[in-house]
Amino acid sequence: MTHTDAVQAAPDTRPSNSTRRLRAGLFGLLWALAGVALTIVMWELVKFVGTIIELPMTTSDTAMPHVWTMVAGFAEPEVRGSDTTVAQAVASAALYSLLIALGGFVIGVGVGLLLAIVMQRFAFFERGLLPFVIASQTVPLIALAPLITGIGNRVSLGPFEWSSTYSVMFIASYLAFFPMSVGALRGLQAPTPTALELMRSYAATPRQILWKLRFPSSLPYLVPAMKVSAAAAVVGTVVAEISTGVRGGIGRLIIEYARETTAQPAKVYVAVFGAILLGLVAAALVTALDVYLTRNLPKENHA
Amino acid sequence: MSERLKPVWTPLLIGVLALAAWELLVIVQDIKPYLLPAPSLIASNFFGDLGLMSSTAFYTGTTAIMGLAIGTILGIVAALLAVRFSVVNNLITPLAAGLATVPIIALTPILNNMFNITSRTPRVLVTVIIVFFPMFVNLTRGLLQVQPVQLELMRSMNASPKTTLRVLRIPNAIPFFFTGLKIAAPLAVITALVAEYFGGPQQGLGSRIASSAANTAYGRAWAYVVASIVVGLLFYLVVLALERWSTPWIGHRRSN
Amino acid sequence: MSTSPSTTTAVHASGVWKIFNEGQSNEVTALQDIDLTVGQGEFISLIGPSGCGKSTLLRVIADLTQPTRGDVMVAGVPAAQAREQQNYGMAFQQAALFDWRTVRRNVELPLELQGWPKDRRAARAMELLEMVQLADFATHRPWELSGGMQQRVAIARSLAVDPPLLLMDEPFGALDEMTRERMQNELLRIRQETGKSIIFVTHSIPEAVYLSDRVVVMSPRPGRITDIVPIDLGERNEDTREAEAFFESVTAVREALRGHGGGAVRARAGEV
Repeated sequence: MTHTDAVQAAPDTRPSNSTRRLRAGLFGLLWALAGVALTIVMWELVKFVGTIIELPMTTSDTAMPHVWTMVAGFAEPEVRGSDTTVAQAVASAALYSLLIALGGFVIGVGVGLLLAIVMQRFAFFERGLLPFVIASQTVPLIALAPLITGIGNRVSLGPFEWSSTYSVMFIASYLAFFPMSVGALRGLQAPTPTALELMRSYAATPRQILWKLRFPSSLPYLVPAMKVSAAAAVVGTVVAEISTGVRGGIGRLIIEYARETTAQPAKVYVAVFGAILLGLVAAALVTALDVYLTRNLPKENHA
Repeated sequence: MSERLKPVWTPLLIGVLALAAWELLVIVQDIKPYLLPAPSLIASNFFGDLGLMSSTAFYTGTTAIMGLAIGTILGIVAALLAVRFSVVNNLITPLAAGLATVPIIALTPILNNMFNITSRTPRVLVTVIIVFFPMFVNLTRGLLQVQPVQLELMRSMNASPKTTLRVLRIPNAIPFFFTGLKIAAPLAVITALVAEYFGGPQQGLGSRIASSAANTAYGRAWAYVVASIVVGLLFYLVVLALERWSTPWIGHRRSN
Repeated sequence: MSTSPSTTTAVHASGVWKIFNEGQSNEVTALQDIDLTVGQGEFISLIGPSGCGKSTLLRVIADLTQPTRGDVMVAGVPAAQAREQQNYGMAFQQAALFDWRTVRRNVELPLELQGWPKDRRAARAMELLEMVQLADFATHRPWELSGGMQQRVAIARSLAVDPPLLLMDEPFGALDEMTRERMQNELLRIRQETGKSIIFVTHSIPEAVYLSDRVVVMSPRPGRITDIVPIDLGERNEDTREAEAFFESVTAVREALRGHGGGAVRARAGEV
């Protein structure tokens, strides 16, 4: 009730949504880096304290390498005598997993959207399927991973060769599917009764209403759902790789390197960093998509 | 069929039809169990060995509960600190947003090396980490997102920050607590299960699904999957029940 | 019981300025050199267009925000002290009731904060609910009540510690016209029974005229008092809104808002 009223008459010269979010993102990034720095300090502190008193964990250099050992690990050769550094191996594995996750994401989001459209259009399907979709998010579907890989390995669809990689992508896609279908349904049902009455007064067909009203109104719901789906696809990919032992991705690498900690303790840490980076890159991609999709929406009111 | 029962019988009907179709498919196409076991086979494996199913589920469930409890308590403490010291909020919230896409479960091998791999500890710890962040974010939001007019009201009644916390912020945060718990509880179950893939005690659902599959005991493997689903649903339903009991005003349009 | 005012002045604001973002490019003078005196038992309305500072002035009096310059005395003590001593009760445009408390426990809130024992609180709360004719709803939840009823609960709450002064920021703004008129009558009845001073912020000219002894007209950029229109309509009843004198007063206020002043006395603060 204060100065905002006084400046009401002036045109809205506040920075655009994109600029605002960039600034906020930068601010958050700096704080996150501060958090990371804090973690590094605490890591070394714990190691130091571990040399003095008995802690519940092993603080040896094999179990908990120094931070600089981890950094040096990037440049180590992956295997004795090999030309590839650990960093290169991790990077290519992470990229491999990223592509699988991306594939899973696209499929999951696509199917999720389709199902949402069907559920919105036909109340019967919403009533019948939505409870299962919601319930599926509360149960560990990832538990099916070894079984799906097993099925995949034994099935042959004609000339198409099903490799385990496709099993992983399938798992990632169904994990991405659920949050997307729930979010998209909510978005498609978001238009106000008034807006719907307006469209009806124009004798618009359900398809026209879908394209011209429901889809545009659903953006604020689609975007957060996509973020959750992306996270689910990434985590699903890595976890599926781990539980099925599929080669090529970062999950498998983490397991392998975890067995070699006595010889090269830093390797598993580099691999874990790779997995973290994978997640962050995926998040950045989705955020970029988000900024692009919402670029023309009204500026959010931060009172 | 009365309108009130409609939302119940439709999914039930679809569920039953799906199971029947599955059973029919297996029989008609003579699909071998290593490909896709029939629901009847899974059921007989599940109910035939209920004791084994429950003890396995109990093991993983216990890991999940421990991680959920500790992670929630830490989340509460951190959120209360965040209300008082905005530094805490500024540090943790961006970290939480960043970690949402990261497979935190990948930390398990590291934790296995640091802590005793033959115990539950590394698995509980990774569950604690995964549970902490959604609980913290939701609780902090609940404590801080009070309506400005409510803060003005408190000030006009000369309430101290501590009183405002007790009388306004904490009751306001309870619905947010449950929103966080509805996310964290299933995550705890998933994490407890997946953490078993990294070695250590093999009595849990994750380990047994993998080993059953490796030993081609597919009916049993699928039965374990059913047990995991039961555990996940149980956790979620308990949270739902707690929510309904403690916040009867949810679902109503809030006053003003 | 609250401390009884040592003077006959309920509120005395002198030389009050409120400037936001002082020295920066988006500096705004919300209040410029406000002088206002409200006598004990008076009903004053603050009226003006958006940005005129009426809500800001109310908040300065309530010590919800501090003036950049000048002081405010409420019941003979500085505003901050008045707030600490709970010398006023406040009602806002939103009822701001707590969903997790019953209606009665909402009314008890200020008493709880003052440390009243349980049974005294409950008794006082029921007394207040009876005054606003909502005693039957004591165990209901806020969302079960209509907007008008919620506001009545909010008003009951503002009377809990029996303060000599009530500050109200467009409390009927969100209500429909019929409910508004009923609430206005309620408010006048409560005032008659309790003899309290009331400062009332509103957008509505008829509302200001119907309720007040004096209408303080404000205008924006910078926020200042431009006019004070005395209202002489005697005891309000159901015919008041249709009386000739009512329309004359409404016209006087409208002209004052336009900046003409018409036949209204251009009263400086304090003079009546």
